[in-house]
Amino acid sequence: MADPKLVWNQENIRDVAESVGIPNLSDETVKVLAQEVEYRVGQVIVEAMRFMHAGKRTILGTQDISQALKVLDVEPLYGYESTRPLRFGEASLGPGQPLFYIEDEEVDFEKLINAPLPKVPRDVSFTAHWLAVEGVQPSIPQNPTTAEARANELVPKGPGANPTLGALAGNDNVTFKPLVKHVLSRELILYFDKVRAAILDESQDPEIVILRKSSLKSVQSEVGLQQLVPYFVQFVSEKVTHSINNLFVLRQMMELTQSVTENKNLFIEPYIASLVPPILTCLLGRTFGAPGLDNLKEQYQLRDLAASLIGHISNKYSKSSGDLQSRLARTCLKYFLDPTRSLAEHYGAISGITLIGGPSAILTLILPTMKTYEYVLTKAQNERGANDESLRMLIGAIMKGIMTIAESPTQMMNGLNGNAAEGQLVEEYLGSTIGSRVVALGNHKLNKAILDSIDK
Amino acid sequence: MSNHQSQGPGNGPPSAGMSMQHQSGGQAPSSQGQNLSQQNLNQIVIEYLVKKGYNRTEQTLRAESAHVDKDGRPLQDRPDEHGYGKYAKAYTLIRDWAEGNLDVYKFECRRLLWPMFVYSYLELIIHDGSSEGEKFFTAFSSSFEKVHGDELRTLETIKLQQHVFDNSLTKLYRNNKYRIPLNTHVYFGLTTFLEQKDTPVDGGRTILYLLQSYCELRETQRGPLDQFSFDAIVNKTRAQNVDDLDLQEGIEGAFTGVSNKDIMDNTTPLKLGLMAMEHDLASDVRAELEDEDIKNPPHSGKSTLVEEFDHTIKREDSTDAPSRSEIPLPPSRARDVMMEVQKIKEYRDRFKIEGRTGGVGPGISVCMWTFHNSMDSITCIEFSDDTNLVACGTEESYIRVWHAHGEVLHSSLAGEPSTSRRLIGHSGPVYNVSFSPSIESPEDAGSPTPSTAPQLLLSASADKTVRLWSLTSWTCLVVFKGHEGPVWNVRWGPHGHYFATCGWDKTLRVWAQDHISYLRLMVGHDTSVNQIAWHPNGAYVFSASDQADKTVRMWSFVTGDCVRVFSGHTDMISALECSPSGKILASADNTGCIILWDLAKGTMIKRCRGHGKGGVHSLTFSVESTVLVSGGSDGTVRVWDVKLPTDPHPTGDGDTLPTNAANDAARITNGTASGTQPNANAATAAGSKKKGKDTTITPDQISAFPTKKSPVYKVKFTRMNLVMAGGLNLG
Repeated sequence: MADPKLVWNQENIRDVAESVGIPNLSDETVKVLAQEVEYRVGQVIVEAMRFMHAGKRTILGTQDISQALKVLDVEPLYGYESTRPLRFGEASLGPGQPLFYIEDEEVDFEKLINAPLPKVPRDVSFTAHWLAVEGVQPSIPQNPTTAEARANELVPKGPGANPTLGALAGNDNVTFKPLVKHVLSRELILYFDKVRAAILDESQDPEIVILRKSSLKSVQSEVGLQQLVPYFVQFVSEKVTHSINNLFVLRQMMELTQSVTENKNLFIEPYIASLVPPILTCLLGRTFGAPGLDNLKEQYQLRDLAASLIGHISNKYSKSSGDLQSRLARTCLKYFLDPTRSLAEHYGAISGITLIGGPSAILTLILPTMKTYEYVLTKAQNERGANDESLRMLIGAIMKGIMTIAESPTQMMNGLNGNAAEGQLVEEYLGSTIGSRVVALGNHKLNKAILDSIDK
Repeated sequence: MSNHQSQGPGNGPPSAGMSMQHQSGGQAPSSQGQNLSQQNLNQIVIEYLVKKGYNRTEQTLRAESAHVDKDGRPLQDRPDEHGYGKYAKAYTLIRDWAEGNLDVYKFECRRLLWPMFVYSYLELIIHDGSSEGEKFFTAFSSSFEKVHGDELRTLETIKLQQHVFDNSLTKLYRNNKYRIPLNTHVYFGLTTFLEQKDTPVDGGRTILYLLQSYCELRETQRGPLDQFSFDAIVNKTRAQNVDDLDLQEGIEGAFTGVSNKDIMDNTTPLKLGLMAMEHDLASDVRAELEDEDIKNPPHSGKSTLVEEFDHTIKREDSTDAPSRSEIPLPPSRARDVMMEVQKIKEYRDRFKIEGRTGGVGPGISVCMWTFHNSMDSITCIEFSDDTNLVACGTEESYIRVWHAHGEVLHSSLAGEPSTSRRLIGHSGPVYNVSFSPSIESPEDAGSPTPSTAPQLLLSASADKTVRLWSLTSWTCLVVFKGHEGPVWNVRWGPHGHYFATCGWDKTLRVWAQDHISYLRLMVGHDTSVNQIAWHPNGAYVFSASDQADKTVRMWSFVTGDCVRVFSGHTDMISALECSPSGKILASADNTGCIILWDLAKGTMIKRCRGHGKGGVHSLTFSVESTVLVSGGSDGTVRVWDVKLPTDPHPTGDGDTLPTNAANDAARITNGTASGTQPNANAATAAGSKKKGKDTTITPDQISAFPTKKSPVYKVKFTRMNLVMAGGLNLG
C-alpha cells in the first residue's frame, strides 16, 4: 500500500501510545490509527456543522464542536470555550521536537487589581425602521445606500426579466434600460454637443479653425470622458456612413477617432470593433467627395490618415483582441488583389497592409503577388498613361511598402557595380514596373532581403 | 493481449511451478500446441494427481485454476487491473461512453456516473486501501461537486474498510441497490456496449460487476430524459406526472441526487381545504359581527363584516377539508370568538395584494427590527401574531422577550415591570421559539373582553427538551421530554393546542399542550430533521431533513403517515412554509434557492433563485398566497411572485407546471440552477466558476431590499399583509 496522504500527524499517535504505555507501534498500526483519527475528526466536523447551521451562524465555533462531541457520546473537550480565536505557541523539546501549546496570557496581578474595570458590554437591544414602504426602499440612514447595496445586482436580469418589476422596486433607471446603461451628467452632454458642433463647422474662419483644433485636442487629453466614448464611436460611424461625399467631415471624423484613441485616460478596447469599420471605409472607399481632380489630394491625404490610424490601432490593440491584426490585413489584401477595384482603393489597401503588417506582411503577402500584379499596373498605364496621378500614387505606395523591408533605405550600398544579376533576379521576381524601380534604388540590402524571401 | 498468450505457458497456469513431477505433466500439453484446451489440460493433470493420490496438490490446482479464463490466461495479471487503475479505467470508459453518446441521451447516460463513482470508490477503499481510493476520489470527484457536494464531503472522510461498514451514508449505499431507470434505447446501448467491452482489459467487466452487485437497472418505455425532450414538453403542457418508475431512481429513502420516493403513491388524495369552524363558534362570531356592523357601519365601498364572514369562512364540512372530529380541539371560549371577530375585521381591512395586473407587482411594506450587540449569539427571532412581542433564543440557553414597540411587559406575579424578560431554564442553546396564536386586540376593547395577546411560548433546545413558558407570569410551565437529541425546531399548530417538534434524532413529533408525552412520532427521514411547518388546516405537518437526505416530507397528523415526499434540493434545507391557501409549500436551502411545491400533485412548481450563499432563514406568504417573502443570511429581504412561472416563455396559459423529470434533468447538468431557465442557467454555470458571488436572479423576483449587512433571521406577514423582518447587526 502506498503511503496515503495524511493530515493527521503520525507522531502524535506514537506520542499518545507512549503516554498510555505502548512503546513500539508498528508503522502500519500508526497509519491505520491516524486514518481512523482523521475519520472521527471528520465525523465530528460534519456533526458540528449542524449546530452551526442551527444557530444560523456562518462561522464554526468551539461550542459547536463540544455540542457535536456530546451528541456523538464523546467526552467534550473542556477549556476551549472561547470567544477569541485560540493562539498556539511553539516550544522546542529538543532538535526537531516541537511542542505546541495554547498560549496563556500572563497577567500582572498588581496591574489587574489597579486597572479600571473593563466596560460592561452593551446589552442586546433592537431598533425598528422601514426597510420598504409600498415596495420602495426609503433612503434613510438605517437602509444601505444604492451604491452600498449594489442595487442593480438585486434585480432579475436576462430575457425574461420584467422591467416594470425593477421600476417598482425603486430602481427607476432600470425601467427602460438601454442596452448599454449610461447615466450622463449634464456637463458631459453639454461637452459632447459642443465638440460635435465645433468639429463639424466647416467655416474657414480662423477662430472656428482654432476652436475645431482645440476641441480635438481636448478630446485627446481630457480626463473623465470615458462615458462619452460610446457616443463618440456612434457619432463617428454615423457621420462616416452618411457623409461619404463630404471629405471635410470624413477627415474630421478620422481626426476625432485619432483623438479618442490617443487619449490615455480612455479605455476603448471594448469599442475597437465598432471603431474600425468607419476607418476602413475611409481607407478603402471607392471615391470620396465630389468627383474632380481638385479633391484628389485631399482624398489621398484622408486615405493616408486612415491607414496610419488603422496601423496605430492594429498595433496598439492586437494584444487585447487576438485576431484583429490578421483580420485587418486580410481585408486589405482582399481589396488589393481584386483587379476590379479602382487604383485608389488599391492605394488604400497597400498603405493599410504596410502599416498593419509591417515589412513581414509585405514580404509574405505582397511580394509574391507582384509579378501577377504587374498586369493591373500595365493595364492602368495603357489606359491612363504613365503620368496618371492615381497610378503614380499607387506605385509610390507599393514602393514605400517595399522599402520598409530594408530598415534603413538611405544606407546605400555600392549600387553601381552591385551585381547586375541580383537586379535582374529582383526584376524578374517583382515584374518590370515595380522591379525596375526597386533595382533603381540600388539598395543592396533591400534586394537581398527580397531575394531571400523568394527562397522562403 | 499477445504477450499474455506468450506468457501463458511460462508462468500462467498455476500447475506449472508446483513440483518437478507435475511440471513435466503440465508442460507436455502446452508444448503440443494449442490444440488441447486448458480445460482438458487441467482435467488430465487432475486425473493424474487423483491417480497418484496427491490430494492436496489436486485441491490447490482446482482452486487456482478457477482464476484462469477459458483461454488459459490468468485473470488479474497486469498492474492496471488492480486498485485504482482498474476502477479508473472502468470509470473513464463509462464516462467517455456517456459523453460520447448522442446529445439526446446524454442526460440519461450521465445518471450512471454518480453510482459508478460511489461504488468504485467504496470498492477501492474496501479492497485496495485508502491511497488507491483517494487517488480515485481526487481524479473524478470534481464533476459531482455541484449536485453531490455534501455526499462528497462525507465520502472524503471515509478512509478505511471499517469506516465503510460504519458510516451511515456508505451503509445506505452498500446495503441497498441503487435504482437507475433508463430509457429503452439507452438501456440497450449500454448493454451492448458493455458486452463488447466485457474483458478485464477494457474495464467493461468492472462496470458490469458494479452494476450487477450494487445497482438495479430498469428499462422504461418513455422517451429519453431531457429538459427539452418531447416527453418533458408534452408533460409540461399537460401538467402531468412522469412515469412513476422514474421517480424511483436512487436508493429508497436516501437522497441520491435525482428523484426518490419511497412511498409508492405520491398522489394520495389530500384534504387541503381549511377546517370548518365549529358551529357554535360560528354562530357566536356571526352574532358578534352583526353587533359590530351596527355599531360601526362600514365605510362606503366596503363590505360589512357579516358579508365578509359569509364570504370567507366555510361552515359546512366539505370533502376536501379535514373534519373536526379527526382533530379534536378544546371547546371554544370567549377569547376564540374575539379572535375570530378580529380576524374577519383585519381580513376586510387588510392591504390587499391581489394578483398582478398589467405586469405591475404589489408594493410590499417591510418593517425591520435590527438587533444590536448580540455577538452573534442570537439563534432565532420570532414575532407574535399580534405583532406586539418579539422573542430571541440564544446560544447562552436563555430566551429573551421584548415588547416590539418598546412598551413595558407586565407580570402577573409580583415584580418590577420591565421592557424585556429573560426566560431561563434550558441547559443548552435555544434553537427555536414559537408564540401561541394571537391577534391584535380591537382598538375599542372594553375591560371585560378577554385578552387576545399570546399567552404561551414554546422553545426548543439542544438539551433535548421543549419547554412551555407562560407569557403572563414569565415562568416555565411544562418541560416536554421525548427527543433523543437536540431539538432543532418547534412550531405551534395553526389553531394552537397542538405543536410539532423536530430534532437530531431524525424524528418529527406532534404534541398537545395538555399531554406530557407526544401524540405522534413520524419516522422516515435519514438524517436529522431541521425544519418543520404546519399546513394551515392543522391536518398536515411538513418536515425537512439535512445532509444526505435533503427531502421535504408531508405527514398526515391524523394517521401519522407520510403522504408526500418532495426532493429537489441540493443543499441543507433551511426554511419551510406552507401557503395560507393550503395548496403550495415553499422550501429554501442553504444555496439560496427557494422551491415552490404543488401539494396536491406532489410536483415542483418552480425554483426561485436570487438569494446569495448562506441560506434563506425564513419564508412567509401573504394572506392571499400570491406573494412570498424571504429573508436570508445575505442580508436581503426578497419579494417573489408566486404565480409567475420562472420560465419567461410559458408554453401554455401560465398555469403550466414543469414536471419533475424536466427539472431533474436540468439539475443533473446544471446542479443548483433553475430548471426552467436555460438562458440564465448558462450564465450561472459560467459565472459561478469565475465569481462565487454571482447568482442568477429569476425574473419572478418582484423586489429585493438590502439591509445594512444584517442577516435576516425572520420574516413574517401579518394578517394585514405587512411584513415584519428581524435581523442581527453584525457590523
